Amino acid sequence: MASVLASIHPEDTVYGEVGDATVPLRFSSLTEEYGVLRERAALLDLSGHRLIEITGPAAVDFAQRLLARDVEYLTSDRCMMSLVLDESGQVVDQVVAFGREDGILLESSCGAGTRLLEHLQARKEDGVEVTDRSGDLTALGLEGPYSWGVVGRLIDGELASLPFESVVDTTWDDVEIVFARTGLTGEYGYQMIVPVEAAAGLWQRSLEHAQAAGLDALELAMLEVRQPIPRHEATPGATVVEIGANWLVDITKDEFVGRDAVVEAFENGGGRRTVGFTGCTGVPAPGTRVQAGGQDVGEIVYAVHSVGLDATLGLARVEQDLAAAGLELSVGGMPVTTLTSPYVVPKSWGIPII
Amino acid sequence: MALRPVVVTGLGIICAAGRDPVEFWSRLTTGQGGLTPIEDEAFAVFAARHAGQVPDAWIDDQLPPSDAHHDRTARLALVAARQAIEQAGLAEGGPDRERFGIILGKCQATPDAAGRYQPMHRTGDVVASLLDLRGPRVLVSTACAAGGNAVGLARDKILTGEADAVLAGGVDPLLFGTYAGFAGLQALSTGPCRPYSHSDGLNLGEGAAFLLVEPLDLALARGATPLAEVAGYGLSADAYHATAPDPTGRGGASAVRRALADAGLTPGDVHYVSGHGTGTPANDAMEAKVMRLVFGERAGHVPTSSIKSFLGHTLGAAGAVEAVASVLALRHGTAPPTIGFEDGPGDGGGGKAAADLDFVPNQARPMTIDTVVSNNYAFGGNNVSLVLTRPRGPREHEELPRREAVITGLGPVTGVGAGIAEVAEAVAAGRQAPGRPPSLDGRTYAPRSLWRHMNHLSRMAIAASRLAWEDAGLKLPRKALDDVGLVFATGAGSAESTGGFDESIAVNPNKPAVLSFSNVVLNATGGAVCQTLGLRGPTTTICNGGASASIALDCALEMIRAGKAEVVLVVAADETTAPLGTAQPYDEDDLPEAGAPVPYGEGAGPVRGSAAVAFVVESAEHCAERGGTPYARVEGTRHAAGGDAGTVGRSLALLGGQAPGLVIGAGTGLPEDADEAAAVLEQAPGALLTSTAGLTGDCQAATGALNIALGALAVRERIAPALTGLTAPFAGDLASYVTKPDLPGPVRRALALTAAGGSVRGAVLLEAI
Repeated sequence: MASVLASIHPEDTVYGEVGDATVPLRFSSLTEEYGVLRERAALLDLSGHRLIEITGPAAVDFAQRLLARDVEYLTSDRCMMSLVLDESGQVVDQVVAFGREDGILLESSCGAGTRLLEHLQARKEDGVEVTDRSGDLTALGLEGPYSWGVVGRLIDGELASLPFESVVDTTWDDVEIVFARTGLTGEYGYQMIVPVEAAAGLWQRSLEHAQAAGLDALELAMLEVRQPIPRHEATPGATVVEIGANWLVDITKDEFVGRDAVVEAFENGGGRRTVGFTGCTGVPAPGTRVQAGGQDVGEIVYAVHSVGLDATLGLARVEQDLAAAGLELSVGGMPVTTLTSPYVVPKSWGIPII
Repeated sequence: MALRPVVVTGLGIICAAGRDPVEFWSRLTTGQGGLTPIEDEAFAVFAARHAGQVPDAWIDDQLPPSDAHHDRTARLALVAARQAIEQAGLAEGGPDRERFGIILGKCQATPDAAGRYQPMHRTGDVVASLLDLRGPRVLVSTACAAGGNAVGLARDKILTGEADAVLAGGVDPLLFGTYAGFAGLQALSTGPCRPYSHSDGLNLGEGAAFLLVEPLDLALARGATPLAEVAGYGLSADAYHATAPDPTGRGGASAVRRALADAGLTPGDVHYVSGHGTGTPANDAMEAKVMRLVFGERAGHVPTSSIKSFLGHTLGAAGAVEAVASVLALRHGTAPPTIGFEDGPGDGGGGKAAADLDFVPNQARPMTIDTVVSNNYAFGGNNVSLVLTRPRGPREHEELPRREAVITGLGPVTGVGAGIAEVAEAVAAGRQAPGRPPSLDGRTYAPRSLWRHMNHLSRMAIAASRLAWEDAGLKLPRKALDDVGLVFATGAGSAESTGGFDESIAVNPNKPAVLSFSNVVLNATGGAVCQTLGLRGPTTTICNGGASASIALDCALEMIRAGKAEVVLVVAADETTAPLGTAQPYDEDDLPEAGAPVPYGEGAGPVRGSAAVAFVVESAEHCAERGGTPYARVEGTRHAAGGDAGTVGRSLALLGGQAPGLVIGAGTGLPEDADEAAAVLEQAPGALLTSTAGLTGDCQAATGALNIALGALAVRERIAPALTGLTAPFAGDLASYVTKPDLPGPVRRALALTAAGGSVRGAVLLEAI
């Protein structure tokens, strides 16, 4: 699935294949785009996120059964992030669920839309319509300590200080859009779901106030605040607890697909845990073994070079006693130190929305 | 449409910045603040010590010795009330006392002279009794917005024609527990507060303020001097959070816009804004947004100031105190300043974020002021804006239109069932469970993320609201929910939170149970309902004991008549003061030996219970347009104040001589039931009388709402709760009472009664469609 904005992105944009999507990884350089995201306001092409609508008289019941968090009373002015699990408790995707007047709109994680859609279709019941809206809708994001100012200049200053996970149906240039306060990187963050025919116009207008950033900068900034990225972290066989995504499920719900496995993982208490680390030179590959005191204690989930720390930053999945901050571990013979999140303090935390 | 002009003809005030309006205004215009360190050693445990205290002598010197035995709250209120009445020239003579009301705003449940909690409405009763005010009597408790709310409701009472004069205001004393609660929230400034520039917290204060409100034509006819017009007011709900304001400012902006629309004015007409200006970062930053949202590019040219910088935050009195200051600002053409204002960039609070606005720093400013907007924001997300203008001359006006209102959804949550289907089934089967707490098991009513943080009262109220909403079959889009009103009615609020908070303070005042504190305010449950159901329309909270629900219905009808809402949810909830922290196990053995209470006759006495009951009130027009099916039309309501035996009879004047088929009375099993029964038998001959006390016990405000709900049900379904234990009635014979649930014939008209003992009684007449 190519970006609906591909035709207006610069020719030297670097694209990458992420799951079922071809998405911009970089428009300029990671360092520059990261700097924009952490210091000013970054504009994000989120067309790799599939938009799937669940409608029909049984829509909410269906969504409540398929999503791991509580969406029964998700009103049309709210959105929330949730895991979607299979029957064995494995992560199918991590979605943003938008309450709508006639059902719920799901936004998949980058590149995971096809799998999510198939999962939903396979479990569809009477009274439920599952519709892929990615042909007529796409999402743009704004992220950064001054992204609220862009919102004010672009749409409406009133929307800039919306509470987190609030949603407003509004208009931009006479086009109906869904506007949400979201945020993936610890910075002020917003999403705009727009008709594809208006996306290019909104993108261009947004570029007058913000600078484009690709997936590389976005995912780095997400990791730096321990925002889960399922395509890196939901490794086969890992439970929700091992992934550290407990907050994306709600076991007080009576029922949802995958609940039994999640409850078992909660009650069992065993397995490994995921913890951030920094310290080694180079970027260890996923699966690299992790040692403590000469003993094998786990493996690398994934790692990158953090621009914010100017050091390697990654996640390791280790024995749970070792998933604590400030411990010295070894990765490929190199010492690393475990961290507590956020690994980089977002600038937005010290900047009020005016 | 120009409505009857309503004016202020008298002012009264006592607070840290002055003992009367003259001194108050002199200090406001010369920058003499009244915030001082508290000398009471009990407060030494707190790091923050400044407050706006009223010297005892200021109170004592203004009251006759005969008032000395009243508690401090009542004495503060009496000082300000007497001043307002005196200035208005109504100390003697004036309007018929049956048409002279009092609407009082209060935030806190205040202690009596012996230090025990007393009913919320008691202060108003004391003032009304001593000043002989026998007209509408309302206690509004929208926390820190209550005083402004009271002035708005007073205007409503004039416009509906229920009153010819209303004493409207607010009062709250400085209480140790409240101080500890704000300290626990880290909301207190360690020095005198500096709103809008160095927003590091607030100071609490105490005081009382009243405005004498009456129609312009009557004021002129008796030769009074109008000081200002109450041109309009607006209410709104944030539907966002228990204590924090909606950071967008849209809730506050909505209240201002509604107030201006009510007044027939635009933002361009406003010369000065009396801000809420507590001095907390959250409030001050939000208010700056309200200013920009409402006034746009003109925001910096509309001076706004906070007089809390002089006297602290007087909670339920604040809105009235600021309304008094606003009237004086109009009279003198001077905007009072924000004192303690620091020029230059602030510390990240309101100051730094609002350098573009004009906060009238430190010096009063002579200027043309024809229109003032006075804003207040409260815990529970309740916002109030008042529009006050310079008085104009007499002019043509129209009466408030009569608009038919219907009850379209019922949501009882009681010991005999949750939802009207279960309760109707229990009524039909003659099942009773007085005192049994409702069960909320079996389904969900709210997102779990909200539910798990809510106290039991809020859970009951949310369940009741959800059930009523579903029963009404209302399916409104998000945009329409922004205009749905909510009126909450409660006698005492959450016993669980109040008790839990008090207990925590007793153990360690520096470790208050802050979650409980946020739920101690009476309107917290109403705010929780708004948040859960996403209702952002006009909202208020009424605390007149067992009569709260019928007074709340009045408020709903006024909103509909004034075109401020088409749909209003009325929800009433109260709970027993069972041992705190216990689960209140229901035990049949707890019932008196004689069994369930027997209203209106020999038998067991009252049993206290817990319940929440909601009903949807809708304009008949709106209901018809959406194809809704109403239970009944609200034909009329009537309230009578006073504790004498004749009060029931005066409320029954509503019937106009035409008896209803059914009366669901307020009898609980007390000997006083005899008065009610006698009055009903006399004024509604042929009607069958019953009560819900046997069904659920006395659940205070919720019982009043249950009476209204079951009255509506009786009109549609021809059933009513039977007085199964009644064998020897105090008045009349058994044939005058409902002794079996199936009524002998269709009920064309049903009358529901409510009662707050010794204070006010209500009557609601419901008619078949």
